[in-house]
Formats: sequence, structure tokens, C-alpha cells
Amino acid sequence: MAEPRSHTQARDFWTATVLWLGAGSVLALLAWILGDLLLQGVGRLSWGFLTEPPSDAGRSGGVAPMIISTLWILAICLATAVPLGLAAALFLTELASRRTGRWVRHSLDALAAVPSIVFGLFGNALFCHVLGLGYSILSGGLTLACMVLPLVVRTTEAGLSNVAQEIRQGAAALALSRVTTLRTLVLPAAAPALLVGLVLGIGRALAETAALIFTSGYVDRFPESIHDSGRSLSIHIYDLSMNVPAGNDTAYATALVLVVLLIASQQLATWGIHRWIQPERSVR
Amino acid sequence: MSFPKSPSALSRSIAAAAFLITTLVGCGSSDDSPSAQTRITLTGSSTVAPLASEIARRFEERHPDVRVEVQTGGSSRGIADARSGAATLGMISRDLAPDEQDLTAFTIARDGIGLIIHADNPVEELSRSQIASIFRGEISNWSEVGGREAEITVVNKAEGRATLEVFKQYFELTSPEIRADVVIGHNEQGVKTVAGNPNALGYVSIGVAESDIQQGIPIRLLRIDGMEANIETVADGSFPISRPLNLVAHGTVDGPAAELVEFSLSEEVHDLIEAQRFVPSRR
Repeated sequence: MAEPRSHTQARDFWTATVLWLGAGSVLALLAWILGDLLLQGVGRLSWGFLTEPPSDAGRSGGVAPMIISTLWILAICLATAVPLGLAAALFLTELASRRTGRWVRHSLDALAAVPSIVFGLFGNALFCHVLGLGYSILSGGLTLACMVLPLVVRTTEAGLSNVAQEIRQGAAALALSRVTTLRTLVLPAAAPALLVGLVLGIGRALAETAALIFTSGYVDRFPESIHDSGRSLSIHIYDLSMNVPAGNDTAYATALVLVVLLIASQQLATWGIHRWIQPERSVR
Repeated sequence: MSFPKSPSALSRSIAAAAFLITTLVGCGSSDDSPSAQTRITLTGSSTVAPLASEIARRFEERHPDVRVEVQTGGSSRGIADARSGAATLGMISRDLAPDEQDLTAFTIARDGIGLIIHADNPVEELSRSQIASIFRGEISNWSEVGGREAEITVVNKAEGRATLEVFKQYFELTSPEIRADVVIGHNEQGVKTVAGNPNALGYVSIGVAESDIQQGIPIRLLRIDGMEANIETVADGSFPISRPLNLVAHGTVDGPAAELVEFSLSEEVHDLIEAQRFVPSRR
């Protein structure tokens, strides 16, 4: 009688141990990375680091122009990718025939698997040369938008198609137009998925180096307009750790700034989405 | 089934997006007008780029009407962009190849690569073939090359480092045949490894080694085939393991670009070159 019970207990114990180990190692890895960044980067951090331009190839001075460029690139990327992505996701769930939908989805999945350096070369050819935008923040932002688009479309679409069909049918029964149904019922219900797409998109865009080095470029001046070349924080980190002797301290400090910027913009996105969606909710 | 014509939040935002994209793309072509500034574009070697950016910053301070844009992408890109006219000047961290003689090279600095040992190691000099044998693992003890009875710790550079390429080329080595005990990334790491191991043999940029020796770090630069490894021999080009950092131009350079080349070759940028751990070139 006692044996099967202890057997079950042992199994429970080991399963729990494995799960704890899994979760623990994920947390440990995150803690390690953040701890390493803090330990090595915090010595270089100061108010001046955030407000001054770099000097001596980045070894001294700050990263202010890179922060500005990064925010501009991110803004252009999101301003393009989010409306386009939302439109494409709505097309897929509301309008596309099964056949068309499959084609579009397959194309998007293929696009999502393309390495970022390919997007970089594509962006360099299309935006910098064919469209004549040159090395500019605009070229960089649009290239990133192409890269982030599949991510935004697929997550948003998943959210939209998870909205219960009964809601749409109920709305139709009440003679609500499709647009009203979408705006007041479907979109708010799909908002969490939209948010996930947005947050993933921000993460990918801020972390990107390969797609930007040939599009937004390497210039570490304050950008005067979006037609200027501007170095992103990620490229600055890459350059400091690969090409600049004794650039490691600044690379760590810049990475710290990037992580904070990432968390801040994701929080802002979350807040923004909730603010946009919440008033609509009251309609229900 | 179709959407009604009346503007809704959704169609408004889609229209706004379409408008945004067309405007953004459209203004690319009319980009030339806003500023009457002269723009000089430099593209190429990522080794030269940080130095070129610093030179550009100082040049812009003296010529407020000129904008110098530095972009990276590797030496090959520098060559291609200088030829196509996409860049005013290319940057390359090597000599011009025989099929690149249509371009003119201006050597602004040199990067020398020296072999370093611990300051306590009695060995003064190694020959080219001895060094190649050590890195191939054929010689593994310092006593075989006139040193103490001790195993040699071979410190090699990580794959993809330009220093490794120059090193391999001079000693006629290939990556698979190098038997390394320690693999390092950047120069500082190499200096630290050798400073902490009396039996190590490594190689780093000579500029970095000299500035570290001056700071009292216990390392020494080895003579190779009787040739002293120091900033002097790199500067006059007599030290063989070095590479030039060049600006290249297709056809004649004139106007502000010519001034920038002249400025890059002048003594006014020597402190910038030394800050990047390179050696100013002697013309």
C-alpha cells in the first residue's frame, strides 16, 4: 500500500525539482546578464553620459546623440509597422479568402525567418539607393519596420482570430456595422495580443545592429533631421566592443542605457495600448 | 460585406499610415535643398572608421560648412563605394591590391602587430620560422628557442579579428594549423594574459603594447629576425608585420575632400591617431 504512494511522491518531487531548475536557470541567466552589465557599466554612468556627445571614439563623453537617433529610428519603425501590421492582420482575419490568407501567412512566416543582415542589405539597396534616402534614420526606421512587420501581423492576427465568433455574430444580430464591431468589440478584445506584438517589435527593433549598420549608419553626431545618418545605441555597443581598443567600459554602460530604454519603451507601449483600449471597453 | 465609406478610427489610421509612407518616401528626392552644406562621405574599413570619425569631428569644427559622414562596411565596401562614387573617399585597412591601381591611396596611419612575452622571459628575439613553428605546435618549449625549460603558452586571437589575418598572412599560417592554448578577443585581453603568465607568447597591436609597457605592465616586445618592434619601425614602414590604414580616392580629389585628406595626413591629427592606438604614418 505504501509503495505506490511513495513512488508518486518521488515522481512529484522530481518533476517539481526539474521545473524549479528550469525556471531558476532562466532567472539566473537574466540576473547574471543584468548583474554583469551593472557591475561593469555603472562606473561609467553619469548625468553627462546621458546628455553629452561622445569623444575619443566613444571612450569618453556620452551617448546622447545615439539615444536621440535610437528613439527616432524606433518611432519611424513603429509608426510604419503598427498601422500596416494592424491593417494586414485585419485583412487576414476579416477579408481574406482561405487561399489568399494562406499565401499571405506563408509569406509572413518566411519573412520572419529572414536573417536581419539580409534586411540590412535589402534596406540599403531599396531605401538608401533606389528611393534615394541615403544613409539616414528614415532608411533605418523603414528597414526595421519591414523586419518587425511579420512579428506584429502574426501576433495581432492570432489575437484577432481568438476573439470568440459569438461576439461578431451577436454584433451582426444587433445590426452593428462591421467597422463598429471591429472598433468597439473585436479590437479591444484583441488588444493584449496587439500589445505582445508591439512589445516584441520594440525589443527586436532596439536590439537590432545588422539591419541598421548599412541603413541608418555610423555617424555619431546629433541628427538634425530624419534624413541624417544616426548611430543607434546597438551599433555604438558593437563598435565599442569590436573596433575601439579600451572601449569596453563604455560598451557596458551603453548596454545598460539600452536595457533601461527597452524596458521604458515597453512600459510606455503597455500604458498606451491600455489607454487607447480602455475607454472603448465601456461601450460593452 | 464591404467597409462603409464613412471615416472611422480604423480607416483614418490606415489612411494616415499610407499618407505617412508616401510623404516620407516622397521627400527623399527633394532632400538636396534644405542645407547648402558640402557633404563628404567616407565608407569602408571598420578599423579605420572610429579614427576617421574623430578626424571628421575635428575637421568639422574648423570647417562648419562641411559635413563629414563616416560609414562602415569593411575595406571591400570602401573600394566599391569609392569607385562607384557612392562615397567621396573609401577607407581600407590594407594595401591596394594589384587590380585596385585605378585608386589612389593616402596612408594616414599604420597598425603594427608585435609579438609579446612576459618581462621576466629571457628570450630577446625569435625568427619568422621559429614563430611559425611555435604557433603550429612544432616547438612547444622555450628551451628549444634559447629560453628557459618551460612549456610555451600560445596566445592566439579569436577568428574574425583583423590582427589575426595580418599575423597569419605574414607567418604563412592557416587557422586550422594554429595550436593555441589561449584564444583572446581584443588587444587588452592579450596584454593581460601575457602579463599574467611568464611563459606566454602572444601578439597585439604595437601601439597598445607600447602604451601598456609605459604604464609598467610587465611585458616586452620581441625582436623578429633582428627587427625591433616599436612605434618607430612601424612608422617608417620597416617593421614587416604591419598594415597601412588608407583613405582611397577614385580620380582626383578636390575641394573640401582634398582639404580633409590633407588634414588627415597632417600632424594636427597625430594625437587622435595615437589615441586610437595606431601609429602616425611618415610620408
